[in-house]
Amino acid sequence: MSHKLSRWALPAGIDELLPEQARRVEQLRTALLQQFHVAGYDLVIPPLVEFVDSLLVGAGEDLSLDTLQMTDGLTGRQLGLRADMTPQIARIDAHSMKPETERRLCYLGTVVRARPDGLGGSRTPMQVGAELYGVAAVEGDLEIISLMLRLLHMAGIECVVLDLGHVDVFGELARQAGLNAEDEEIARDALQRKSIADIHALLAMRNLAPAVQNALMALGRLNGDWRDVLAQADQVLAEVMNPVMRRALDRLHHIATLVEQNFPQVSVLVDLSELHGYHYQTGLVFAAYAHGVGREIARGGRYDEIGEAFGRARPATGFSTDLRELLRFYHEPALQLATIYAPADYADARLLGAVERLRASGRRVVMTGQVIPASATQLVQEGAETGNLWQLMGDTNHG
Amino acid sequence: MVNQNIIIALSKGRIFKDTLPLLAHVGITPQDDPETTRKLILDTNHPHIKLLILRASDVPTYVQYGAADIGVAGKDVLMEHGGEGLFELLDLNIARCRLMVAGRPDAMAKMGRLRVATKYTHSAECYFAEQGRQIELIKLYGSMELAPLVDLADCIVDVVDTGNTLRANGLEPLLHIADITSRLIVNRAAQKLKHRVIADLVDQLNNYLQEATLAQ
Repeated sequence: MSHKLSRWALPAGIDELLPEQARRVEQLRTALLQQFHVAGYDLVIPPLVEFVDSLLVGAGEDLSLDTLQMTDGLTGRQLGLRADMTPQIARIDAHSMKPETERRLCYLGTVVRARPDGLGGSRTPMQVGAELYGVAAVEGDLEIISLMLRLLHMAGIECVVLDLGHVDVFGELARQAGLNAEDEEIARDALQRKSIADIHALLAMRNLAPAVQNALMALGRLNGDWRDVLAQADQVLAEVMNPVMRRALDRLHHIATLVEQNFPQVSVLVDLSELHGYHYQTGLVFAAYAHGVGREIARGGRYDEIGEAFGRARPATGFSTDLRELLRFYHEPALQLATIYAPADYADARLLGAVERLRASGRRVVMTGQVIPASATQLVQEGAETGNLWQLMGDTNHG
Repeated sequence: MVNQNIIIALSKGRIFKDTLPLLAHVGITPQDDPETTRKLILDTNHPHIKLLILRASDVPTYVQYGAADIGVAGKDVLMEHGGEGLFELLDLNIARCRLMVAGRPDAMAKMGRLRVATKYTHSAECYFAEQGRQIELIKLYGSMELAPLVDLADCIVDVVDTGNTLRANGLEPLLHIADITSRLIVNRAAQKLKHRVIADLVDQLNNYLQEATLAQ
């Protein structure tokens, strides 16, 4: 391909929004921010570029690979384009805010990923989410899940499946099994794929207590309707149960019961081998699925220690989603009023006045030198004998 | 429930042949023979279950994107794909073979950078990195055995069943990388959205496999 031909091409995974899409994105964006506002969440706008050290706080190695980096000419330090806004919000909470007991923040912005993010391969998702700081109790988890579900409903997603998990169940089992960091990572990866065969192959060589080994393998099957799974977990994990695991399972039970009660249209599942973000999640993890999408549509969870690196660790829970992913479900509320066309005659003060009045009332007026089709809504001159008045013709929007 | 249709992705040849008895055991039989039909989507005796017949290396992609809910793919293909967005729910114990390094008997004795021809570039890279050996990868799409013969490469990484093709060409299986069987894979979202239907199918298959193992 010659350079001339390829100049219009965008890099892989980087796209733009053309007028129709851009208008819908903006409508949805406004609607989402309004939902956050009425729920008591304050919008913050973190910078696009920061020191890499701050961007990668509390995150795994994956985020480092996902962050495009460059050297800052002023300081010689590494700068990064944000690949995830969550650590930025944690930084803002830990450092820029007066220490209050609770803090509700929301954010919306484009992030840049060095590697394509999952399906569709977008490298510029529009991340939108909310974070709740300072609430360790189960009510914090419930608040964030409820907010996410209301938001998905508002975006037009009818049947949501909510999948709940808790990283402490696997964490405790790995500790009881005495797995070293490398084996724990292999086990986590196998469980994440629910590959009982792979986890069996790993554990068979480790000479573990049978109860722990069986429990770790059983985790791969402990997923489905929340009632069934939690009942099964009580049996299968009975021998290895400890207070930390008991608290985790009780919290899942509590959350599932209330979400089902408050959102009857949502199906609630529990998956005890769901370990997404295991390296920074510290408790509940959850994801929402919608029919027709091959991956989760939103996800979140608890990550209580993320603020520590900024000098202020405190309870934190939140969720995020990609605005562009939601767009495929979104139906705009109202029809747009038709565009009004007028001749581009900047010498006619009466015309300009008429145009200004229409625009002030919220109508969309285009002044053009092109021939206006007779069928279009337009400003026409009623003839000189009536005093050169400009009238609106063919406007179907006014009954 | 909405949208409880199930699409199963299979590849032609050995995996299809070995999967049919498993599917038949859970009451699913295709209405067409993939070797003779021109159809790309095969109907089954259940109106809500369809089969896709794909190239083996495309099966994880179709399932990852949710174009198919379930698939049967070799562990070799899954290791190469990375398995992102997939659950590997069952080891079906079919299409058993080994992923191996093969070449002329003295191929590994070569000093310095080894030229490796393979279609399994990811697996080859990981394996030789673990072994601490520098390699140069040559991506091929088929007839790997030819590469050492015409000195395109020092060795190959490929799946080996009986090893007869290798020996007929003066090559030998040299190093064992992994044992390969076919796995039942499921799209992450489908596992959540259609979990009753899928869990039923997986449980039935699992019971059958356990019985088969016990019978042996």
